[in-house]
Amino acid sequence: MDALERYVRAGLELAGEEVDDIDIAVIRAADAVYGPALAALDAADLSEVLPETDLDPSRPPRPL
Amino acid sequence: MTGHPQDLPLREQTAAIAAGDLDPAELLDATLERIAERDTDLNSIAATFPDESRRMVEEAPAGPLHGVPIAVKDMFALPWRAPRDGSDYEQIPKGESGVYRLLRDAGAVIVGVTNMHFWGGGSTGHVSAYGPVGNPWSTDHCGGGSSGGSAAAVGARIVAGAVGTDGGGSIRLPAAYCGVTGLKGTHGAVPLVGYTHRFSSLGSMGPICRDAADARLLGEVLYERALQPGGAAGLCVGIVRDPFWNDIDPEIERACRDALDAAGWATEDVELMGAEHARAAIVLRLTLEALPAVHPEEVAGADPLMRALLKYEKLLPARHLMKADRIRALLRRELKQAFERVDVIAWPTVPAPAPPIADTTVELPSGPSPADPANVGQSGIGNLAGIPGISVPVGTHSSGLPMALQLQAAWGREPVLLDAAEHLERATSRRFVDALPPMAAAAAA
Repeated sequence: MDALERYVRAGLELAGEEVDDIDIAVIRAADAVYGPALAALDAADLSEVLPETDLDPSRPPRPL
Repeated sequence: MTGHPQDLPLREQTAAIAAGDLDPAELLDATLERIAERDTDLNSIAATFPDESRRMVEEAPAGPLHGVPIAVKDMFALPWRAPRDGSDYEQIPKGESGVYRLLRDAGAVIVGVTNMHFWGGGSTGHVSAYGPVGNPWSTDHCGGGSSGGSAAAVGARIVAGAVGTDGGGSIRLPAAYCGVTGLKGTHGAVPLVGYTHRFSSLGSMGPICRDAADARLLGEVLYERALQPGGAAGLCVGIVRDPFWNDIDPEIERACRDALDAAGWATEDVELMGAEHARAAIVLRLTLEALPAVHPEEVAGADPLMRALLKYEKLLPARHLMKADRIRALLRRELKQAFERVDVIAWPTVPAPAPPIADTTVELPSGPSPADPANVGQSGIGNLAGIPGISVPVGTHSSGLPMALQLQAAWGREPVLLDAAEHLERATSRRFVDALPPMAAAAAA
């Protein structure tokens, strides 16, 4: 059992979810597709980017 | 009148009705007949309701869409039908959605609800309780998603106008696949009442039509404002090469470049800091915004693939979403600055033509990829930002499938996009907006 499967089984068990082999296979495939982009986002240094606390997608952002 | 009335564009249908040359009741009957004869392989229409449609004809007020049939995506409550969202379940109660009221008050006749990707969760349209949505250019290829039925119905000349929704590209992507014009409005331009995904900070509505003039007509009704035509010859177009032109089918890249060249616009390279993370940010926002809206009984009834994906979403660390929102803030600021220098930004709507329904992998220069991540990478930034965007047909691939260019503008600047789209149509001699898919060409012949 690799790290991904251990993470999935443990995480879903903690959430009270059952896990079967289909779940593992699908999640492995999804992680292969989206995992690298999510990891790159996770690794990005965004400490200087201020959040938009009054987000209104219908308008441009307010000046900082 | 000779020929089938659904071979006319929307504006000519309305003009013919106003002139007394076309009877709305006959137009509705002809449209229902066309659905019956042409939609069998396409599967673009999830349901019709002739009695209710006929009642709308009888009660139609004078208005800009008086008497013309419009199809709406199955995400809007109608007084006689609860929307299903591509599932077996009624997602919200039936009633008068904002879109229904706008269309009714404009005199339109809702002729059917369109098929769509299950829960709006894909760009291919091949997963739906009503069966996969086909492509009018090749019915064993994907019509797209999630508003695939709306785009396919317009492309097949079943209806001249349809309403779609776009939470991650769901108007623009199927419009590109089906060779029609799809306009995603600025976020919040259409009332959210009676919309299944009204919780979304990403979703927006808009018209799907054959060309920009028809999209302007239907868009004015949906957005409740005049979308006045203006000149587009002097536009300045921002080219955001990285990442949006990086991994594109060579024929599509060439068609989009040729279209921009034909338009004769000034172009300027634009860099958007954070754009490399737009795909991850939109995927996180799209999936996690929807998660609380999923009914437990639906999870139990969902197919194993969907159940597993929902479990995957539950395992995504919360810090990812916080980072996604910082990227969203960064991109919105970057785009605001960019639109101070350029009128629109441009890149291919989809990186590859519609894949087969049997295998939704697309071939990119970097190698094969599932269609969804490739597509949403081209479209999601517009949803994160809330800006309007339009997909315009600009070519036919050697596979016989359409190719399209996407243009996006600053908040509220839908008229500029429509002007630009019409300019592109003229610059390409209307070859691609007037092209008939084989199923329609055979009937016309």
